[in-house]
Amino acid sequence: MDHRPQAWGRPRDDVYGAYDGSYLNHGGPKNATQSPVVTGTSVIALKFKDGVVMAADNLASYGSLARFTDVKRLHTFHNTTILGYGGDVSDMQFLSRLILQIELHQDYELEQLPDIKAQRGQEVMQANNLFTFLKKQMYHCRNHFDPLWNQILIAGFDDERKPFLSSVDLRGTSFSAPSLATGFGAALAQPIMRKYADTEEQAAKLTREEAVEIVKECMKVLFYRDARSLDRYSIAVVTKDGIDLKENEQLEKQSWAFAERIKGYGTQTV
Amino acid sequence: MTSIGTGYDLGNSIFSPDGRNFQVEYAAKAVENGGTSIGIRCKDGVVLAVEKIITSKLLKPGANKRIATVDKHMGVVYSGMVPDGRQFIDRARDEARSWRDTFKTPIPTADLASRMGGYLQAYTLYQQVRPFGITAIVGGFDSELELPVDGQVGSGPSCGAGGKDSTKKHGGPFLYMIEPSGLYWGYYGAATGKGRQAAKAELEKLDFSEEGISLEQAVKEAARIIYVAHDDSKDKEFELEMSWISGADGPTKGRHMEVPKELREEAERLAKKAVADDDSDEEEEKEGEKMEE
Amino acid sequence: MFRNNYDNDSVTFSPQGRIFQVEYAAEAVKQGSVVVGIASKTHAVLVAIKRNAEELSSYQKKLFPIDEHVGIAIAGLTSDARVLSNFMKQQCLGHRLSYGRNMPIRNMVDQIGSKAQNNTQHYGKRPYGVGLLIAGVDNTGPHLFEFQPSGMTEEMQAFAIGARSQMARTYLEKHLESFLDSSREELISHGLKALKESLVQDRELTVENTSIGVVGYVRNEEGTSYKVEPFTLYDGQDVSEFLEKVSDANEGGGAATAEEAAAPEGDSMEVDS
Repeated sequence: MDHRPQAWGRPRDDVYGAYDGSYLNHGGPKNATQSPVVTGTSVIALKFKDGVVMAADNLASYGSLARFTDVKRLHTFHNTTILGYGGDVSDMQFLSRLILQIELHQDYELEQLPDIKAQRGQEVMQANNLFTFLKKQMYHCRNHFDPLWNQILIAGFDDERKPFLSSVDLRGTSFSAPSLATGFGAALAQPIMRKYADTEEQAAKLTREEAVEIVKECMKVLFYRDARSLDRYSIAVVTKDGIDLKENEQLEKQSWAFAERIKGYGTQTV
Repeated sequence: MTSIGTGYDLGNSIFSPDGRNFQVEYAAKAVENGGTSIGIRCKDGVVLAVEKIITSKLLKPGANKRIATVDKHMGVVYSGMVPDGRQFIDRARDEARSWRDTFKTPIPTADLASRMGGYLQAYTLYQQVRPFGITAIVGGFDSELELPVDGQVGSGPSCGAGGKDSTKKHGGPFLYMIEPSGLYWGYYGAATGKGRQAAKAELEKLDFSEEGISLEQAVKEAARIIYVAHDDSKDKEFELEMSWISGADGPTKGRHMEVPKELREEAERLAKKAVADDDSDEEEEKEGEKMEE
Repeated sequence: MFRNNYDNDSVTFSPQGRIFQVEYAAEAVKQGSVVVGIASKTHAVLVAIKRNAEELSSYQKKLFPIDEHVGIAIAGLTSDARVLSNFMKQQCLGHRLSYGRNMPIRNMVDQIGSKAQNNTQHYGKRPYGVGLLIAGVDNTGPHLFEFQPSGMTEEMQAFAIGARSQMARTYLEKHLESFLDSSREELISHGLKALKESLVQDRELTVENTSIGVVGYVRNEEGTSYKVEPFTLYDGQDVSEFLEKVSDANEGGGAATAEEAAAPEGDSMEVDS
């Protein structure tokens, strides 16, 4: 028994090991985020003639546990830009608060214009501007070895009023394409979207209805094959008229007949 | 101002033998020279209005706004030194941001008024600074509904963010006026600047009760009061700027915004008519007011 | 001039609620030579008179580019203007880096406004002794702002500051209606004519003492987006073609004199390029 007063009330070293006081040390090396905790799965998006469609399901998983089933991962900015978040949900919340502040500052600037009504829409920060900001933010955090564990899709319009779609991930890597998908979607949904719109030219021929249909089809494939997904999802369409966001969609016309033919999982032996 | 020349008015934060802080009083003088600002708090919202004296024909019409939004749901208008007012607004916006950083919810109007009152007061405490040469009117509409917490992505707990008693009424319209000393009060009708006496007399005639004037009527009254308080003989032309805030079910959906052009023009038309109609009465009234002053 | 007790620093109010140090700083602006700015629906121009200390010395710079889409004209202490100019350059670059776009002019002007206001509220600081005209374009079109030492910033349709600028302002007020729809060249001519009004007798606008700065906002055919015509400075021989257009001969004369006047201009341009 250790009779020194400083040991009183403490777990015994011989049983529990020495107390790890390393968290009290400042200035030395530190361990930042090593992995995401509560996560959202794929986000997918597809450009069409007059805008962009984006979708993501409403699930937030805690490991393999379907922890929250009403999480909205498509956010809007000023009725002009959609942000879709894959990855860590708390980092998404942090970013959403950051973007709320940008939105407020945009409003502060806008109200100074002589006639707000006449000006609104074209003069606010466009999707490409917000994207530049986000990629700097993501890259900055990763350079401090404390990345925001997300992959984000940004959809809207650019300075030249053309449909805009880009992606940035936790490393600050960013790129654009006529269709984009994060996480599992990159493997499962991307090929389907490319079948319809492999190039900008092809995407520019798609109608809104076609694009929505393709994205819905992709969401169904994702639900079939991605074990961390849900059949409740959000879908948003951004056009020059604004954003049409539906947050509580149900996958329709599911057919699990194919499941019977799948072999090699669970308790099956053959 | 009998104490001019005694030296007690040469530095900020100095008390005179009779317990006055002259520099703060002089700052208030700067306010008295500024264009009139008013605020009206009625049952379903708040209206802010300001008389912007046009100092030059070369100013771009409608481009230099004097009423500013803080967060989404509050507005600030002020009389006095305009650059000081800008600084006040910058600070108010910083306060609103830091409140959100901490509490993840918009700052209640009363808390903003308190923080800004404290901020102005701090500028009366030290010799190294001067007080603000403005009196600010802060109006806001605190949400009556259970708001989502900033960053909330699901439905959240069924009890809401907490701290609210469902049997009681929460939120509503609020109006405060903050003076250079840091002193502030809540108001139903507040006025400051050059024409404050006339404006106050008009405000006192309004009915602010639950059965009283509506937000839209308040907009029209605000326009009329600015026109009444404007001194044609002394001042050049002016521009009327007005903003309003309603609850979530009202015309601005809980946000502070400029009064739409059509409504403002209608209010101005009525104001001009009202002023012209009792032109002769007004002359007499003004005489009377001057006597009171 | 008489001193009073209330004008020693910028943290003391006079009994009338005035701050004399700030008002004196505004006087410094009037010591500087005149600058004029005008905005139309498509352009914002700045024109300025440059002074030289003596016959053989160089002329003082009056116009400064800040970023691709903004430039300023100064009246007052040049060194104070440099501080503000450097600050604005940094802000614009920072904004471009963060958001990939031109910084909104109002935003930038508000920032120097706050900086200047701060100098009027703290002991040991002094107000900036310079006035600025800021011309630029952003998403919302061309803009012209005036900046005063008090930290006051206002958007103007047209304005003039500096020595004898009242005469220029009178000219601008008289022609105010025509500015909005003026072309690039007309706008510059108006600027130069306003400048002329403020000249001391017997002085003229010359290629040595005149500076012109122009920035433009060009919409595409559909009117859906715009391009910036970058802020361009004209000094020396480059201003001659603009001066020709407002020369007295051209003003009063008919077509013949105009052609005569134009002829040597063409020559000089060739020599220059």
